[in-house]
Amino acid sequence: MPHYGIAIDTTKCIGCHACRVACQNQNGLAYDQEFNRIVERERGRYPSFAKEFIPLQCNHCENAPCQRVCPTGATYTTKEGVVLVNPKTCVGCKYCVEACPYKMRMIDHHKGIVVKCVMCIDLVRQGGIPACVSTCPTQVRIFGDLDDPNSEISRFVATHRAQPLRADLDTRPRIFYKRS
Amino acid sequence: MPTISRRKFLAASAVGTAALAVGPYVSFDAWAKAQNESQETKVTPTLCGACDNWCAINVHTKGDRVWKAEGIPGAGKNLGGVCAKGHGFLHELYNPDRIRGPLKRVGPDKFEAISWEQAFKEIGEKTLAIKEKHGPQSIFWLTHPQANHSLNGRFLHALGSSNMFSHGSTCFMPRNVGWWLTVGGKPEMDLEHSRMIVLLGRNPAGGLNLGSLREISRARSNGARMVVVDPRFNESASLADRWLRIRPGTDLALVLALSHVIIEEGRWQKEFVEKYTEGFAEFAAEVKKYTPAWAQEKTGISAAEIVQLARELAGYAPRVCVHRGYHGAMGTQYKNSLQLVRAVGCLSGLLGNFNQPGGLYFPPKPKLGKLDPKDYPKPPEVPDHMSDGSGDPDRYPLVPAGNGIAHAIPELALKGELKAGFVYHSNPIRTNPNPARVIAGYKKLELLVSFDYVLSETATIAHYILPEAFYLESDDVVYTSHSVRSAQVSIRQPVVKPLYDTKPLFEILKGMAGNLGIGEYFKFTLEEYNRASLAPLHVTLERLKKEGVIDTGSRWEPGPPKLKTPSGKLEMVSSILKDYGLPAIPTWEEPLVMPDPKDPHSFRLIHGKQAHHTHARTGNQPYLTEITTLNDWARVWIHPDRAKLLGLRDGDCMSITSTVGKGRARCRITEGIHPDCIFLPSGYGMFSRHFKFGKKHGQGGYGFGISYNDFLPTYFDPVLGHTMGNEIIVRVEKSTTRGA
Repeated sequence: MPHYGIAIDTTKCIGCHACRVACQNQNGLAYDQEFNRIVERERGRYPSFAKEFIPLQCNHCENAPCQRVCPTGATYTTKEGVVLVNPKTCVGCKYCVEACPYKMRMIDHHKGIVVKCVMCIDLVRQGGIPACVSTCPTQVRIFGDLDDPNSEISRFVATHRAQPLRADLDTRPRIFYKRS
Repeated sequence: MPTISRRKFLAASAVGTAALAVGPYVSFDAWAKAQNESQETKVTPTLCGACDNWCAINVHTKGDRVWKAEGIPGAGKNLGGVCAKGHGFLHELYNPDRIRGPLKRVGPDKFEAISWEQAFKEIGEKTLAIKEKHGPQSIFWLTHPQANHSLNGRFLHALGSSNMFSHGSTCFMPRNVGWWLTVGGKPEMDLEHSRMIVLLGRNPAGGLNLGSLREISRARSNGARMVVVDPRFNESASLADRWLRIRPGTDLALVLALSHVIIEEGRWQKEFVEKYTEGFAEFAAEVKKYTPAWAQEKTGISAAEIVQLARELAGYAPRVCVHRGYHGAMGTQYKNSLQLVRAVGCLSGLLGNFNQPGGLYFPPKPKLGKLDPKDYPKPPEVPDHMSDGSGDPDRYPLVPAGNGIAHAIPELALKGELKAGFVYHSNPIRTNPNPARVIAGYKKLELLVSFDYVLSETATIAHYILPEAFYLESDDVVYTSHSVRSAQVSIRQPVVKPLYDTKPLFEILKGMAGNLGIGEYFKFTLEEYNRASLAPLHVTLERLKKEGVIDTGSRWEPGPPKLKTPSGKLEMVSSILKDYGLPAIPTWEEPLVMPDPKDPHSFRLIHGKQAHHTHARTGNQPYLTEITTLNDWARVWIHPDRAKLLGLRDGDCMSITSTVGKGRARCRITEGIHPDCIFLPSGYGMFSRHFKFGKKHGQGGYGFGISYNDFLPTYFDPVLGHTMGNEIIVRVEKSTTRGA
């Protein structure tokens, strides 16, 4: 069974937000609901001025704080390593929203439940790749099996020593970043 | 005393509720499956309409509702990518601000629904009366040139007028004419195989080109160097090794100095220059005076940087690419834009990259067939020049008839030379400079017909609005612009049935033609027209509609360049410019205006696109305006040193005044901009009161933000008549009132 992850190369991100809207359409979200977002950071003075766009989404942590705090067991991890919320058992208590150190869980006010990035698991099980990965004009994201040492993502993570965000929290995310 | 924590309480109650409500546990997978299977999904290949790249997309529908889009991987222009606009604009289909059927204006901002028959009949009568009284040249058509351009032309020529305008004078005119003069046409770029890419006055990550971006991304993965030259740290600069912060309007000085260094140091591609260029000696003599020290004064980029860039370029030559430009510095921005394009052409000649891997090339194009003129007569010949002087040897000989100078229409209307207009896929009142003058001009017309799908600024003052079916509801003609590396044909087709009483453009043309006495030129169906187009390619219309994009065989191959200039070579000395007595060798030309260096309030106002907005078209779509809201991206950029002098803090409101307009906007203080200028993102400042939807949901729609056109005086470049859109000096002050 593959264990999926995504590698993100922020040196290629142009902040175009194609991933955001592709994700909204794929998952039927309203215009103001988001499973991923982009943070813009500027640093330095000319000539060493630089800017970084950092795409953020659920990190699908192996050691997921959101899952630990869920009182109803609505948050679970699939066999492929994707962290999901069962809409039928979620009661909208928002413990997970507070627990997520990456602030990547969102409240769906219409359904009264918590929703989040599903790594387009439906598409993936049909042989596709997540919408944010396929739409990206500059191919910032690489999706694949982290268990397979020969997969593109594994080679990318190894070559560029891509790191998860806030590795110190020991959440063991499945999203890896190459940042410079 | 036993205690129960809030968590345990919730856990207990949730189990109870779940059991009551749904009975047995439903896994997410089962739930998701049920969601997906509730409606039948279908995939239709078509062409996007969120901007004018017409990217090839597969649109998925659930039941009768549009769901999502995916890029078609083989399509030359987008290589499988779809941008935020491509996804977000799908929702525009359901925008409540859309027009539901033909409208007739019965008073200021008052409209009455009429039938198509009545609209065709009344437009026919009025147009014929105007033609009778003022002659056929008093009629014009303004369009955004696309595949169906040929049909629009057929209609206008049948009426006997040559006044076919594109938006070129506000967009790309110098770029097209400059390359045509130098190499005989507009080249494409083999960015993927470049060892070094220079983006100069071009930002494919803002003014999106998805194909270019994928190629740049691959080139970067393969280790290509990349330098961005721009007054601001644009989105493409995030991808680059180096950003050169150039003083706006001085790109020409940089390119001339690069040529100077390459020639002085003997680093040019000697064989290529010898064999394929004309006028090297004259060009070399001209650039002798453009030393790096001289260019440092003009551009603000240090002489050492210039020398280094020149050496790098020469070192990687011929596998280098200086971008061929678009709307930026090489487009309609500056008085010296034409000279800049010519200079980049000559620099490319020195680097010997024409028709080489990693360089510039001419894409192969499929040769479409035509309707048999025996059965379907061609409209009679029309004059070879236009009312604005385009194509006229004494006025604007270099402006191609069929492009014209669109922002001259109001002038010509005020003079009484133009009386009736058809505006298709264009919104000149928002996208042309100095709206007050544009409105006055267009209001002077005796007949104005708009084909918009919403009551845009222009549609609001039109006499008739004939709503074209939305791009997801519409058939169109065979499209060839996906031909980049190989010759491709593609087609737009309906994804869903029209929601309202709208028609595809072809049906509208046919309806109007029948009432104008030119029905004989439209005695065919769109299907017949498309079959005739495809006939020589041995591609059936059925197959094209099934696959969306088809490769017709011929591919670009590197080799000796075949150039379509009068000399058959890359013309460093342009024979055509020489004939017209214009500067034939690229030479330094000052920008039209410069901010006053002694006045802390004086700035040049520059503008550019954001990746989530197209012209004045997408600013009413909440899925896109939300991106502006989230990032606060409608703010105007200003350098911290200049902001300090004006007492501005980040987010403060500024008042901006030029000779023709004033407005307010909040500031974004950033090191990412040259201190001489402020940067205003385009896509905002829509002022039609009918853009309600975007206004309701975030930073968009009616009344939000400002547009650079509000500040731009009406200029006509002496050679090409273009707008010179960045030649604006504004006075900036801290404002106490709120702005966007």
